[in-house]
Amino acid sequence: MFTLGVDIGSTTSKSVILKDGQEIISTSLIAAGTGTDGPDRAIAAVLAAGNLNLNEITSVYGTGYGRKLLKNASGEMSELSCHAKGVHHLMPEVRTIIDIGGQDAKVLSLGTDGRLAEFLMNDKCAAGTGRFLDVMAGILQLKIEDLEKQAAIAKSTVKISNTCTVFAESEVISQLANGVKIPDLVAGICQSVASRVASLAKRIGVQQTVCMSGGVARNGGVRKAMEQELGIEIIYSPMAQFMGALGAALYAYDKS
Amino acid sequence: MTTLNKLLDSFHEIASSPKKQLDAYLSEGRKVVACVPVYTPEELIHSMGLVPMGAWGGDIELKESKKYFPAFICSIMQSILELGIRGEYSGISAIVVPSLCDSLKCLGQNWKYAVKDIPFIPVTYPQNRKPDWGKELTKVSYERIIRDLEAATGVIFSQDALARSNKIYNEHNEAMRKLSEVLEQHPSITAVQRRDIFKSAYFMEKEEHTALVCQFMEALSQVVETESKLKVITTGILADSDGLLKIFDEHGLQIVGDDVAHESRQYRIDVNLELEPLEGLADKFSRMDHCSVLYDPEKKRAGYIVDLAKKHKASGVVVLITKFCDPEEFDYVTVKRACGEAGIPVIQIEVDRQIVNYEQAGTMIETFKDMF
Repeated sequence: MFTLGVDIGSTTSKSVILKDGQEIISTSLIAAGTGTDGPDRAIAAVLAAGNLNLNEITSVYGTGYGRKLLKNASGEMSELSCHAKGVHHLMPEVRTIIDIGGQDAKVLSLGTDGRLAEFLMNDKCAAGTGRFLDVMAGILQLKIEDLEKQAAIAKSTVKISNTCTVFAESEVISQLANGVKIPDLVAGICQSVASRVASLAKRIGVQQTVCMSGGVARNGGVRKAMEQELGIEIIYSPMAQFMGALGAALYAYDKS
Repeated sequence: MTTLNKLLDSFHEIASSPKKQLDAYLSEGRKVVACVPVYTPEELIHSMGLVPMGAWGGDIELKESKKYFPAFICSIMQSILELGIRGEYSGISAIVVPSLCDSLKCLGQNWKYAVKDIPFIPVTYPQNRKPDWGKELTKVSYERIIRDLEAATGVIFSQDALARSNKIYNEHNEAMRKLSEVLEQHPSITAVQRRDIFKSAYFMEKEEHTALVCQFMEALSQVVETESKLKVITTGILADSDGLLKIFDEHGLQIVGDDVAHESRQYRIDVNLELEPLEGLADKFSRMDHCSVLYDPEKKRAGYIVDLAKKHKASGVVVLITKFCDPEEFDYVTVKRACGEAGIPVIQIEVDRQIVNYEQAGTMIETFKDMF
C-alpha cells in the first residue's frame, strides 16, 4: 500500500510517498507554499519520482499551514503531530524536537513511545524563524544556502537582537556601516535565531536526544549555535525538511 | 423552534448586544452603573435600584485609548477605555473600577481624564483581605462606593435593601454553579453557547438571569446526549472570543469546568446572610480565593485547578493567558507545575481583545487533541 503525505508550509511544499508505512519511496520539495500551486507541483513531482500515479495512492494526508486547502485529501493532521511522528519513525531515540520552519518555531517533547507529550510554539513574530534568516540574507546580498558557509569562516560572533526582526535588520545595517565582516555578522544572525528558539526549548525542558527538523535545520550555522546555546549535541537528519510530510504519510497509513 | 433553542438564542442575543440592553434599561428610566473586572461588589449597586452592567471590554480596534496607555498593557482594559471614549457607555451614571491589579489602577486614573462625563468610582481592596482589619478595610472601601454612588445617582443606600440583594446574588451564584455542573453532562452545548450563558449574566439583572438559567437547565434536562467530546478545563481571565471558542467546538473539545475570571470565579463564594449585610459583603470578599489577582502567598490556585480537572474527569487544562496580564503569567508557572505533577496535560494559548486570526491557536488545540 502506498500513502502520500503533503506538508504545505508557509514558504515550501514537501511530499513523501511511503510503502506499507515503512519504506520511503520518493520525496519532493517545491519552493512555493500555501496559497500557491506549490502543493500540486510537489505532488506531481513526488509521483513522478516514485513512478506512481495518484490512483495508486491509497490515502493522502495533509499537514502544515495549508493543510486544510489540500485538494482530495483523505485527512489532515497538525504539523506538530506529523513532525513528532516522522521524527520518531526515523530516529526513535529522539525525545526533544526543535522545528524551525519558514514562519514559526516549535519545540516538541516526545515520550518513549514517540507520543507527543508537550509542545510549545513561538509567538507571532518572525524572530527565531526561517523568515528572519531570509530577511538577513537579503540585506547581506547572500543566498540563504550561503549563510552556513559564511558562519563557518567567522572569526567572531557579532551580537544581534533576538527580539525583533525589524530591529535586528537595523542593527545589521548599522554593523555593516561600521565595517563589521560579513561572516561575523552571519554568525551573529545564526546565534540570534538559536538563542530565541533555545529559550523556547528551555521552557519545555530539554531531554536528550535532541534533533532539529524543518527547513532551518539544514543551516549548520544555526545548528552549531543551538548546540552552544543548549550545551548539548543536536542530531540532524538529511530528511529534516520532510519530517512533517513523512509523519502525514505515516498517519495516512495508520488510518487506512 | 424548541424552548431550549429559544433560550440559547436569548442568551446569545443578550451576550452579543450589551448596548441594546443598556439602551433598553435607560429607556425604562433605570440608572445603570458599569462594573469593571475583576470583582466589583454588584450587590451594593443592585440594592440601590441601579442596574449593574459588566464592562469587560470588547474585541475592537484600539485607537483613542492608546493615547492613555503604554503599548504593552492588557487589552481588556484598553478596550474598556476605548468604548468609553467612543461613547458606547453614554447614559450610564458611573463606572466602578477595582484596584486589583496595576493595570486596573491605570484604567481608573485614565478614565477620569478620558471620559469626563461618566464618574469614576474606585474600589480599593486590601492586599490582606482575610484578617479582621482586612475585612474592615474592604467594608470602609464599600462605604466609600456607597457615598460615591449616592452622589452620582441621588439614590440612598439601605442595609435592608442590601440584605435582599445579597440573597438574590447568592441565588444567582447557586444557579451558575449548578449550571456548570449540568453543562458537564451535556457535550451538545458548544463552547460558544456556554460562553453566551455566562456572559449574558453581566447584562441582565441577576434575578432575571437566574430565572432564565433555571428555565434553560429544565429544558436541557430533557435532552438525551449521544455524543462525547474530549473534556477540558479552561482557566484564565477571559474566554470570550468567538474565533477561539469555535476552535474548541470544531475539534470536539468540551469545557466541563472553568477557572475563568469572567465565568465561574465570580460565583464560588456566597454572602453569609447571618451577618449584617454590608459586613457580610466584605466578609464574602475575604473568603474569595484561587484567583491571580487575589493575594495568596501559598498559591493554592494551582492545586484548585488540578482538583477541578480531577473532579470533572478532564483530560487536560487549557490555560488562556490574556496578553500582558502579569498576575496570570506569574500563576502559570505554579499551575503548569502542579498539573504536570498530577499527570494532567496543559496547553497555554495567548488571548487578546485584538487578535483576529486564531490560526496558531487552532493548530495548538488540534495538536492537543491528537495527544490523547
